[in-house]
Amino acid sequence: MAHNSSQSVHEEITCREVVEWTAAYLDAHVGEDRKQQIALHLAACAGCGAYVGQIASVRDLVRLLPQTVDSPSESEQVRQAVAAKLRRR
Amino acid sequence: MNAAATTRSESIGQSPRALSNTSSVPLRSLPSDEQWLLTRLRQSDEQAFDELVTKHHGALIRMAMGHVGDREVAEEVVQDTWTAVIESLDRFEGRSSLRTWIFGIMIHKAKDRGVREKRHTTFSDFETFDDEQEDAVDPSRFHRSGEWTGHWAFPPQPWDDQTPEKLLASQQAVQAMNRAIEALPVTLKDVLILRDVEGVDAQEVCEILKITETNLYVRLHRARERVRRAVETYLEGCQRAV
Repeated sequence: MAHNSSQSVHEEITCREVVEWTAAYLDAHVGEDRKQQIALHLAACAGCGAYVGQIASVRDLVRLLPQTVDSPSESEQVRQAVAAKLRRR
Repeated sequence: MNAAATTRSESIGQSPRALSNTSSVPLRSLPSDEQWLLTRLRQSDEQAFDELVTKHHGALIRMAMGHVGDREVAEEVVQDTWTAVIESLDRFEGRSSLRTWIFGIMIHKAKDRGVREKRHTTFSDFETFDDEQEDAVDPSRFHRSGEWTGHWAFPPQPWDDQTPEKLLASQQAVQAMNRAIEALPVTLKDVLILRDVEGVDAQEVCEILKITETNLYVRLHRARERVRRAVETYLEGCQRAV
């Protein structure tokens, strides 16, 4: 019987492996075989579907989190200091 | 974009070596909008600098704090970074993006200052992170034996479509996520801030941090998982409170 390498690869991936591939998968930084393998697994595994979805949400959420790092007054001080140095350049 | 690394002196904003007029060096490797920005900066256009500071100052402070652990010191590091940027503009040869160059200067100064200060005492600052260390997700959440080895024993509870919106609207959830980010070891925090908060593409993150793409995705995943875990804990607390 001819060895169906793609099917055997799809059967072999575990949830733990999918978890480790998540960041690369979401960035489309996996090869086509691996991508299909993970996609097929996600279609069949509610746990991994939830996990990958949550990681994707976190990726999107962190960009939207309100920051308290930079206060308006501090920004203004920095701008003034930079402008002063610029004028002396 | 030319992926070649910047020269050491260019990357850390050191005093100039004897060079011919580098401001006339063609910047073909830079995108046209960045070439235009650089031209304006070299003409001491204050609005151009204002745009640059607005764009990068917050992320620079946040990353600097991860290295030096003290807000005041981080501010000094970033101020020194902007000074170095202004003083070194004519020597910037465009072999990396402007952003890569600026963040590279900051990281060099932050690391140098962090060693000299030796003041940061938070656990995350001393916590070393090895890319080969423990799994991102607690191994006990997976079956360890039998036919389901490696598959979920305790899978995550699904979030509904409104969960992200609800999280952003909840002060407690936002604080939990921000605390999780600030508690990250610096090697994880740097990749999360650059890749996910600032939206820097993967290749440029690797150039700035001088890491491989393999390192990047290992660290990025671990960073995102720690934030996810913080959200999971917050949501479990909400469910228990109901």
